Amino acid sequence: MRKRINRIVKAASAAAFAFALCASDLSVQTAFAGQNVPYETYTYDYYEDIKYTPAAYIPDGALTGAKIGCGDFLSPQDLNTDEDGNVYVADTGNSRVVVLDSSMKLVRVIDSFDNGGTEDHFSSPQGVYKSMSGNLYIADSGKNRVVELDGDDKLVQIIENPQSDVLAEGYVFTPLKVAVDYADRVYVIAQNQFEGIMAFDEAGQFIGFTGTIKVQISPWQIFWRRFSTREQRARQQLFIPTEFTGMEIDEDGFVYATNVDSEGQQSVRRLNPSGEDVIQQTSVPLSGDLDWRLSGAYSGASRIVDVAVRNQGIYSILDSSRGRIFTYDHEGNLLYIFGGMGSQEGTFTTPVAIDTIGEQVLVLDSNKNLIDLFKPTAYGSLINQAVGLRYDGDEVQAVECWKEVLKLDSNFELAYTGIGKSYLAAGDNKEAMRCFKIGNNKQYYSIAWKRYRNEILKDHLNAILTLVIVLAVLIVVWNKVLKKKVLLRRGERRVSHV
Amino acid sequence: MFKEKLKYAFYTIAHPMDGFYEIRHRGRGSVPLAILFVFLFGICFSANRQYAGFVVNFVNPMAINSFAEVLSVFVLFMLFCVGNWSITCLMNGEGRLKDIVTVTGYAMLPMIFTFVIGIILSRFVVADEEAFYYLLLGLGIAWFALLVITGIMTVHNYTFGKTLLTMIFTFVAMLIIIFLATLLFSLIGQVVSFFMSVYNELMLRV
Repeated sequence: MRKRINRIVKAASAAAFAFALCASDLSVQTAFAGQNVPYETYTYDYYEDIKYTPAAYIPDGALTGAKIGCGDFLSPQDLNTDEDGNVYVADTGNSRVVVLDSSMKLVRVIDSFDNGGTEDHFSSPQGVYKSMSGNLYIADSGKNRVVELDGDDKLVQIIENPQSDVLAEGYVFTPLKVAVDYADRVYVIAQNQFEGIMAFDEAGQFIGFTGTIKVQISPWQIFWRRFSTREQRARQQLFIPTEFTGMEIDEDGFVYATNVDSEGQQSVRRLNPSGEDVIQQTSVPLSGDLDWRLSGAYSGASRIVDVAVRNQGIYSILDSSRGRIFTYDHEGNLLYIFGGMGSQEGTFTTPVAIDTIGEQVLVLDSNKNLIDLFKPTAYGSLINQAVGLRYDGDEVQAVECWKEVLKLDSNFELAYTGIGKSYLAAGDNKEAMRCFKIGNNKQYYSIAWKRYRNEILKDHLNAILTLVIVLAVLIVVWNKVLKKKVLLRRGERRVSHV
Repeated sequence: MFKEKLKYAFYTIAHPMDGFYEIRHRGRGSVPLAILFVFLFGICFSANRQYAGFVVNFVNPMAINSFAEVLSVFVLFMLFCVGNWSITCLMNGEGRLKDIVTVTGYAMLPMIFTFVIGIILSRFVVADEEAFYYLLLGLGIAWFALLVITGIMTVHNYTFGKTLLTMIFTFVAMLIIIFLATLLFSLIGQVVSFFMSVYNELMLRV
């Protein structure tokens, strides 16, 4: 008998093993089927484990300067798009700005402007920005100034040599990145300026700093400093705030700015007009990768260098250490990750800037001297659409999109939450609970569970009350019977004694 | 006999001073029973990780390994007992290893109940009520700590201050044991690999 059981167990485990093998084989095939992308596409689940996903974006060609027809770029540093889809490239090495239209045709090349009668040239411009009012701002780093040109490339003003008490004496203003809000306030990221983003009013007067990042010293660092000598301390690195790396302004005039965070805690901020960070985030850090190697190639936290503000609260940040693009919704939920390092089309060697035209993503690579284009797949497009609908408050429509997303990727937690919310609104609390549980959303699960619990209590109130009364009666009776028994026994004993 | 010992365990967790005194001096404790309690607590601990309600459960279900969890509870228990024994031997403690094992095992009895009740309760709570769940677990743990301290104090005939001191030393001793064990394992590994390579060399060259 025992032998037979043993044999059955063995056969069953062998079958299970074979099945597991087949299943794992299948999953590998489905994960990579039909995806000829030169990078890994994944996301992080609730437990911060990597989950591979279908590609949200696929490479859609690369544009060199020669292909555009303006001669090759040379170490370009910035790229910006306007509402009409025109693209402005700061071609730093060639000291010019290249303008393209939305179909990537060359419009014009700006390499000089009329400065009070004389022809003035740029020198290594590292940043470019098209304002809402239609003027073009160029961070002309080599000549320590920001140049503002109007729609016909006529000079409007030059911002240079800012004067203020808060600036050190002999301060050299070297602008790297520039952005302009709807009121024509100019925000400038300047070299070696650790106090924050420099803000200028529309007349080019320096107003002050915005978005200063506070220095954080860990107890451990304090501990070590206490035990080091003066000489050692002098040789240690200074505790200075990280510099901002890139920025863009959203429709409401809030500044999205990225910075390098070696701890991987927060690399993107949304600054309100008074300079406070108002970005929404979940418990997950807004800093690209959650896991990274501690040493060797491609190690360390993501080095976020630029941000692209997209429609309906979506934004993408660009990681220059591993060439990845992380896209978040307005609540700080990670939507999808794509991109990577390499020499194939669609991968980067030194990505420096990112921007979007509609759903299309453009990444500027300063080492390959080209613009990489990416277009959304059905999967990426559905996510964008669903998130957009939810942002606009149209949850019912969003559910249809989420269902489509789940057909392509059944691990997408945000989709389950989205569907769960619609069940919750419709009053189907049990189904809502199921969805929130799969989507790992404890907050909404709790709401659904509370309602469901009340429902059960209401429906079965009679039964529960009856049960309580019956139990109470039973206990009373039982106690009485027990007492009688004990008394009887004592009585018997007494009798036997006699 | 077993029933009596079991009853006495419950008496002990409610009256630790008297209970542990009698365990030390009148042999009313039971080592197998203590080990059973540790085993049960290990199971409850693991069950709590797996079956606690979704609202309060932050454990990745893929990371649960009941065997490893029960085993680690056991290993910690053994480490504590041996560490405490080796320290109290040097510090005029009157307790035997047997007593220390009994005290630590019996002290886990309240936690078995709070964890089981906690699991059931956690399946009914929503976000605002999770405090009750954590309170219950916290009470169990506090009770455990109290019992261990009173128990160790009683069986060794220590003052309260000396008990706390030996507790600190016990943790140091545990760390030293872990360190030595790691050292031993790595040395054994090296010796084994040495003989393996000698054997391979002989087999392949001679």
